[in-house]
Amino acid sequence: MPTELPMNDPRNIWQNQPKEPFKMSADQLRGKVQQRQKKARFEAIFSIVLGFFLFLFFARACATTHEGIERVGLGVLSLWCLYFAYQAYKWIWPKPQAPDGTLNTTLQSYRSELEKRRDCNRHVWRRAGLTFCFLGMAMIVGPLLIRALDDPRLLLSVAPLFVLLAIWLAVFFPIRKRKMQKLQQEIEELRVFEAESRS
Amino acid sequence: MRGIETISRGDVSQDSLYEQAADTYGASLDRLARAYELDPEARRDLLQDVHLHLWRSFAYFDQRCSLRTWVYRVAHNVATGHVIGQSRIRNRLVSIESIEAMPGSDHGELAASQAQALERLETLIQRLKPLDRQIIVSYLEGMDAASISEITGLSPANIAMKVHRIKNVLKRWFSEGGPHAD
Repeated sequence: MPTELPMNDPRNIWQNQPKEPFKMSADQLRGKVQQRQKKARFEAIFSIVLGFFLFLFFARACATTHEGIERVGLGVLSLWCLYFAYQAYKWIWPKPQAPDGTLNTTLQSYRSELEKRRDCNRHVWRRAGLTFCFLGMAMIVGPLLIRALDDPRLLLSVAPLFVLLAIWLAVFFPIRKRKMQKLQQEIEELRVFEAESRS
Repeated sequence: MRGIETISRGDVSQDSLYEQAADTYGASLDRLARAYELDPEARRDLLQDVHLHLWRSFAYFDQRCSLRTWVYRVAHNVATGHVIGQSRIRNRLVSIESIEAMPGSDHGELAASQAQALERLETLIQRLKPLDRQIIVSYLEGMDAASISEITGLSPANIAMKVHRIKNVLKRWFSEGGPHAD
């Protein structure tokens, strides 16, 4: 490597920067891939087991509760836990590499990554089944709140939870909307570039 | 699962293609990782990720494009995924056009050493959106517009325009000391 380089030649500076030697043999890479797949499988199994455990917990609570609405709420929550386990399997379980992915140009790949993010943001509520989760919780907490109307101290003790939930909901939707608008704008810009390169 | 079969099979052509690519483009991949990640630890992880994806990708290499194009496409795609994953950083990235439009410095200085010049170059690259970053890295690696176009998928005319802007910005950053706004 030359010791004296022209400081106003960026290409020279870039190509002659200090190197950090990195070398892995194909066998080491093979081992690393297997290790990663094992880790991803473990994470998926952990989430699936957690989902089943919570399903059993809420199902048992559902079976032992005598209040009608609370019982339905616990039933809904237990079913949501099963759905959570299924989603964990669907999204975390390692899948084979898509062969087409590597054939893409960087422009196509970048656009498709942004589209994945946009779709993920767009469907996060439905995919996570949050409607059922909140419905189940409302059915459990609702009757408790009605009973607590006679005792305002009990109502005050749960108030922080509701304030936090309200803040989260008030922040979640505008942030999601802004994120999606930004992503969509960038996707549109990339589509223009793609159209130009095809013409 | 196909992915696992590929791993246990230990395909000779896959391994030899990878080794050929690592020998030929290893140093370029190292520099490419530097364009996407400043933190040395995270950069090493990114570089390892690039090599992993590259090795896996050679199970599907069908010579429809050159080895160099393939290597750079895979590497940029992995590194871009790394940037996209960091949403806080991604939201602050700007285009080369925005940097070009920033007012020039009246009291800029030339970089005093190679390390300082490299730092300045890295600062510029790290501020760019992924697509512009891919183009500037390819330009700095000494590629022509046709090669950059093959890797990125942008039209040669678009590449020529972007490279022209990159040259303007680099000239300003390295002859005048960089823009005012940071």
